[in-house]
Amino acid sequence: MIDFQSGYILRPVNRLFIYFSLFCALLLNLLPLGNNAWIPDFLVIALIFWNIHQHRLIGVIVAFSLGLLMDVHNSDLLGIHAFSYSLAAYLAVTWHRRIIALPVISQALHIAPLFLLVALCPPLTHWILSGTIYWWAIGGGVLQTVIEALLWPLATRVLLAPQRRPLHIDHTRPL
Amino acid sequence: MFIDFRFNTLDPMRNQINWLLRPLEYVTLTPRLIYDWTSNYFTTRGELERENQSMKLRQSELSLLATQGELLLAENQNLRQLLELQKQLAYKTLPVEILFNPPNPISQRIVINRGSNDGLKTGNPIANDAGILGQVVRLYENSAEVSLLEDRDFAIPVQVARNGLRAAVFGTGRSSPLELRYLPVASDLEVGDILLTSGIDGTYPPGFAVAMITRIERNLEKNSSNVFCVPVAPVNRYRHALALLYEAKVDAKPAPLNSLGKPTGQAQDNPGFSSGRRQTRAKGLQ
Repeated sequence: MIDFQSGYILRPVNRLFIYFSLFCALLLNLLPLGNNAWIPDFLVIALIFWNIHQHRLIGVIVAFSLGLLMDVHNSDLLGIHAFSYSLAAYLAVTWHRRIIALPVISQALHIAPLFLLVALCPPLTHWILSGTIYWWAIGGGVLQTVIEALLWPLATRVLLAPQRRPLHIDHTRPL
Repeated sequence: MFIDFRFNTLDPMRNQINWLLRPLEYVTLTPRLIYDWTSNYFTTRGELERENQSMKLRQSELSLLATQGELLLAENQNLRQLLELQKQLAYKTLPVEILFNPPNPISQRIVINRGSNDGLKTGNPIANDAGILGQVVRLYENSAEVSLLEDRDFAIPVQVARNGLRAAVFGTGRSSPLELRYLPVASDLEVGDILLTSGIDGTYPPGFAVAMITRIERNLEKNSSNVFCVPVAPVNRYRHALALLYEAKVDAKPAPLNSLGKPTGQAQDNPGFSSGRRQTRAKGLQ
């Protein structure tokens, strides 16, 4: 696959690395960081990253099952995260050709609506079911989206690093 | 989502996922544990000494109170027996550790490390040394979710410690004060009043501190008052708590006949006494 940032061809991706990174993102999400609304959802960043870069390996089904895990962890209604992750993954897979060719900063701007969708799904669902709207939860969701979008360049750097390694390392390279 | 909202059919599935997820959650708790251990290990000697001294003082106070309490309890039970009131129930406590609070900003919950395998039941109150913290709302095998006092629409029946006025405290959501609802303007409340559990719901044992009144807004036109209070127990601070395995015999239904406290000897002698009907007057007055 071509790295649109540098123009080089990337190394083939290692499946184990994808699953390992998703697992690490899940563990980051499980860290006891309190229940502030602005804490970024690391799992959704990793998930959408792989949806865009490796849409054949990581699709809606993986998103759905990871969403179920997050539902149980959050003690939320079973299905809120499963639904929002699947929807975001579907949109990411649909848009991947357009997004992948952009510079990283514009990528972050294009992906922010997906993060916003995931962040606002729980308060909106609670609004539909109980009739009360939590403005602070929505504000926290917006802040969370901004933080996640700011983390996107970092995620790109970290998650693409194994594929950007050179094929042959010449240790005795004459300068 | 709808199915989970309306019915409980998805609970087994939730249990299975939880069984898968819980070890991972324990793994992610390790950084905090390591931090705690190291900070515990490096506390200075002076600090320990000070703590030890205050503990000793506290213990002597408490043991004094405990002997008095024992005496009063026995006396109370005897008096209740004499009056043929229902006896106060004894209950067991179970020490629990608070694992984490789920990152869900809408509800205020914590997850504890005891579950149905330890005899915990849905609805059991959770308290610490200062007062009530919350109530078990969802049960797994080895863990449980506890709704805190601050949780939205969390209700708990209370009694004002000063004058015995009964009311209900409601949670209003994240970090906003608790509310005492459905009280008329003229009710005798003061800022600083301590609210205790009244025990009439059969969920909470009576006499545990719940909250303290901090602000009262009386609205004469609507004949209502907005009463705000704060929880007595530090709800989001400690790592350990006690679960009260309390199963009351009474609940909101009408009390059985023998608990009315009327002269039953006379009633038993009277052949016309129908046991199926509630008596509102003493027999002698008929």
